[in-house]
Amino acid sequence: MGEFTLLTTDACLFALLAVAIVYCLQARRHEHLRAPWREVWRRPVAVGASVVLGAFMLVAVADSIHFESRAGSGDGDVLSALDIALRPLRTGSETTYSAPLAAYAYSRESVVDESGKLTRIYPRLVHGGAHLADPGREHGADVARRAAAGAASGLLGGLALSTLCVLAVARRRNRAPVAAARLLLAGRAGFPWRSLLGVSTALLIVIGICAALAPHYHVFGTDKVGNDVLYQALKSVRTGILIGLLTTLISLPFALALGIAAGYFRGPIDDAVQYLYTTLSSIPGVLLIAAAALMLDVYMTRHAADFDMLAARADLRLLALCAILGITSWTSLCRLLRAEALKLREIEFVVAAQALGVRSTTILRRHLLPNVMHIVMITTVLDFSGLVLAEAALTYIDIGVDPSMDSWGNMINGARLELAREPAVWWSLAAAMSFMFALVLAANLFADAVRDAFDPRLRQFGADRDLPAATRES
Amino acid sequence: MDKPPIVTDTPTAAPALLEISGLRVEFGAPEAPTVAIDDLTLTIARGETLVLVGESGSGKSLTALAVTRLLPTAARITGGRVMLGGDDLFALPAAGMCAVRGRRIGFVFQEPQVALNPVMRIGDQIGEVLHQHLGLRGAERQERTVEALRAVGIPDPARRAREYPHQFSGGMKQRAMIAIALAGEPELLIADEPTTALDVTLQAQILALLKAEQRRRGMAMLFITHDFGVAWQVADRVAVLQAGRLVETAAREAFYRAPRHPYSRALFAALPKLERRVVSAPPAAAEPLLAVDNLRVEFPIRRGVLRRIVDSVRAVDGVSLRLDAGETLAVVGESGSGKTTMGRGILRLVPLAGGSVRFRGEDLAALSAAALRQRRRHLQVVFQDSYAAMNPRMLVGDIIQEGMLAQHLGASRAARETRVAELLAQVGLEAAHARRYPHEFSGGQRQRICIARALAVEPRLIVCDEPTSALDVSVQAQILDLLRDLQQRLGLAYLFITHNLGVVAQLAHRVAVMHQGVIVEEGPVEEVLFAPCHAYTQQLLAAVPKIGDGADA
Repeated sequence: MGEFTLLTTDACLFALLAVAIVYCLQARRHEHLRAPWREVWRRPVAVGASVVLGAFMLVAVADSIHFESRAGSGDGDVLSALDIALRPLRTGSETTYSAPLAAYAYSRESVVDESGKLTRIYPRLVHGGAHLADPGREHGADVARRAAAGAASGLLGGLALSTLCVLAVARRRNRAPVAAARLLLAGRAGFPWRSLLGVSTALLIVIGICAALAPHYHVFGTDKVGNDVLYQALKSVRTGILIGLLTTLISLPFALALGIAAGYFRGPIDDAVQYLYTTLSSIPGVLLIAAAALMLDVYMTRHAADFDMLAARADLRLLALCAILGITSWTSLCRLLRAEALKLREIEFVVAAQALGVRSTTILRRHLLPNVMHIVMITTVLDFSGLVLAEAALTYIDIGVDPSMDSWGNMINGARLELAREPAVWWSLAAAMSFMFALVLAANLFADAVRDAFDPRLRQFGADRDLPAATRES
Repeated sequence: MDKPPIVTDTPTAAPALLEISGLRVEFGAPEAPTVAIDDLTLTIARGETLVLVGESGSGKSLTALAVTRLLPTAARITGGRVMLGGDDLFALPAAGMCAVRGRRIGFVFQEPQVALNPVMRIGDQIGEVLHQHLGLRGAERQERTVEALRAVGIPDPARRAREYPHQFSGGMKQRAMIAIALAGEPELLIADEPTTALDVTLQAQILALLKAEQRRRGMAMLFITHDFGVAWQVADRVAVLQAGRLVETAAREAFYRAPRHPYSRALFAALPKLERRVVSAPPAAAEPLLAVDNLRVEFPIRRGVLRRIVDSVRAVDGVSLRLDAGETLAVVGESGSGKTTMGRGILRLVPLAGGSVRFRGEDLAALSAAALRQRRRHLQVVFQDSYAAMNPRMLVGDIIQEGMLAQHLGASRAARETRVAELLAQVGLEAAHARRYPHEFSGGQRQRICIARALAVEPRLIVCDEPTSALDVSVQAQILDLLRDLQQRLGLAYLFITHNLGVVAQLAHRVAVMHQGVIVEEGPVEEVLFAPCHAYTQQLLAAVPKIGDGADA
């Protein structure tokens, strides 16, 4: 392990995490922030989704702690904590394609056997199932045994976690552990523990199975140059999450400052902002992104000396993609914020502040900004999944992240040709899809809960609810 | 705690149409519910009008919604029975309720603006009811639609039926709403504060219309209001609700002659009456504190691609008035008369189109933005909606300190906090309230906080823009007392904007009547209210619902 290095996107991610922690501390002290979050944590779906999101986040953070590798170690120029943890996956590469959990290669190769005769056979893999003496007989049983052991350890982990939670609840409520467990199981503990523990246990079982199989097999197979697909998919998590988060970070200042100012001041400022965002949103986004990617390429070839590390190059491209996505995507939020500010400026507390002689900048900061934050929160979480998908789409048409960088978009891009060959190689696509699906689904479910809790308009009227039990039966 | 017993009259001899018995509605978690309606028992006979009166939050509207099973999601019925002409409404399936709503029970809401569908023609909205409940189609439906609009007094109904809600004025919208409610020929009409959003002159017309239609059709009516004047105009019987409990039901004459329950009596005592005059004469002054001369405020109308100004709405069209220190000038007028805009114009919170506003001889209209910001500490404002008037994200203490910070008053945070405690005590609150959020207070308390915020910068003049209109009568009386007390102690001048003539009589020294952007009559309260000269003032006074006049005529 070498010296700790900080790539630009790492710094951005850690800064974002710091902001999130500061927000949490802030939210704990302010009732108007705490109340909607309490509402979010009351929903079982939101809690389940946040467990999955948390797992993805953990992978992304582990993949963002980078170390410069020692010269001559045979590794790339920088390694992350995740790379080090997944060393067997990273180094155990084959020569070319192999199917998930296979012990033999996917295609026939010409091999010269001991007697010097040239035969075309499916050769054994270098790492996948290398410990088996006779894969034909032992393979199935070995996989089943290892998977069962992994699942069992995952289940055990889940049970241990559940026990800890039960004990914590018992301590807090001053109950006997058995009573607390019953409370948890009945779902009456005030927090959806069942969904938290259920999803955690399921996740731990999946992780357990993968962890048990990964050192001996390629769980998701290998790609064209023999790299492990599970490793690639895991590495892509950071790319997806970074794009989802950094883009928002870059677009927020534009949207907030311009949107609120336009709505509050109206007149020429409003005209200018409106002109800006209508113009910007009428340029096709893909075109703008393609142009920016091209310009960056030219810049990097001219200044090749500054980008000696491969990782730094890829990193800069990722950041540039976030920036350009951010610059093209602030318009919709800006429009929403302008409309809200137009409404707020007429509300009496803003007029009262004007009547007290409070300066405009102070009014914007103290009265308008806190009162539009719920919109920002809702749009941010709703946009996140869209941006993860946008990365995949853009990389697919080759204007996204650097081809050398692991990303779901790159995996899908590669799968275009793999699916066309016979027999088709489907696992790259399947791996990218299932990871992306899990992340986006969790993000969407979470976003729904956040929107329901934060949007005051959704707490409205309904009809025909909750008649007295006696009359319902009659 | 001992509660005074419920006072009820003997039920009328006529057969009951609606029978509510033991109704209970709860909010919140089932383990610790908030009881919104507690054991409510009521009957309404056929052809009878029962007026449900009570302060806001007493459960008047919830009762009406519970009867039709249209309660908000958070509320639930946990007990009781509602019988409509022998049918148990709580036992009906959801589809059965659809046949009741609109057909057997008609509904008129407070806000016609919200209750009408803005993208449907008025005629189609009435036709929908006719089709749904009476199965009418084609020419017959068309004919009945026009007839329904004519019955509620809409001129040229055939043409009006093809128009959209935005083409109707406020009063016409409420008439259309009534036409929709009556289209299904209901046995029972529920009117939930149908005139609260309307001006007094329109209110008188709508009340007369409702009463006439009820008589003609022999329909029963459940009328909800917080206004005892309105209740007198329409009621056969009166029921008083207090915090979800029915405290008194009585026939109208008996109730108004001598309310028997202590709560009813307290409500009566708090009513601002035109006759009551307890305002001491204003101190004489040589130079006016505020002199407004020919003030004009216009809102431009922009048209076309280039958004050029083609015309303007003259909201305030040449208003002149003067106000001495320690004096209260009331400005009365109907909504849309420009009184609120005038108040904001004087404070330069809206751009002025012309005229001058001299405060202690200095023209505010000519000041630069920075100079104006400094002068703002002398002129403050209190709004009608105390909920909207405070940033929900700020603590009360910070809200009150905001003006001090902007005007650089108070040397340190500690000094400002001491002053906040002082101010809170001055308006009848506690120092500990500074660490709470606005939503934790009742309407009256919130208005007190707003007054404290205005006082924080030691103003000479406060523009009070309908500060008590959103409050219940008992709270209104307290706030008026507070304002009068502050005036005597601090020598404040008030420009008091209101539509409630009773409030004027209680608080003001002089009164100005505003109509369509101009002041039509101005003078001492006694003269204007009891011997009005201008025809509009006379009309306005005549329309105020008064208790004990011949509404039955």
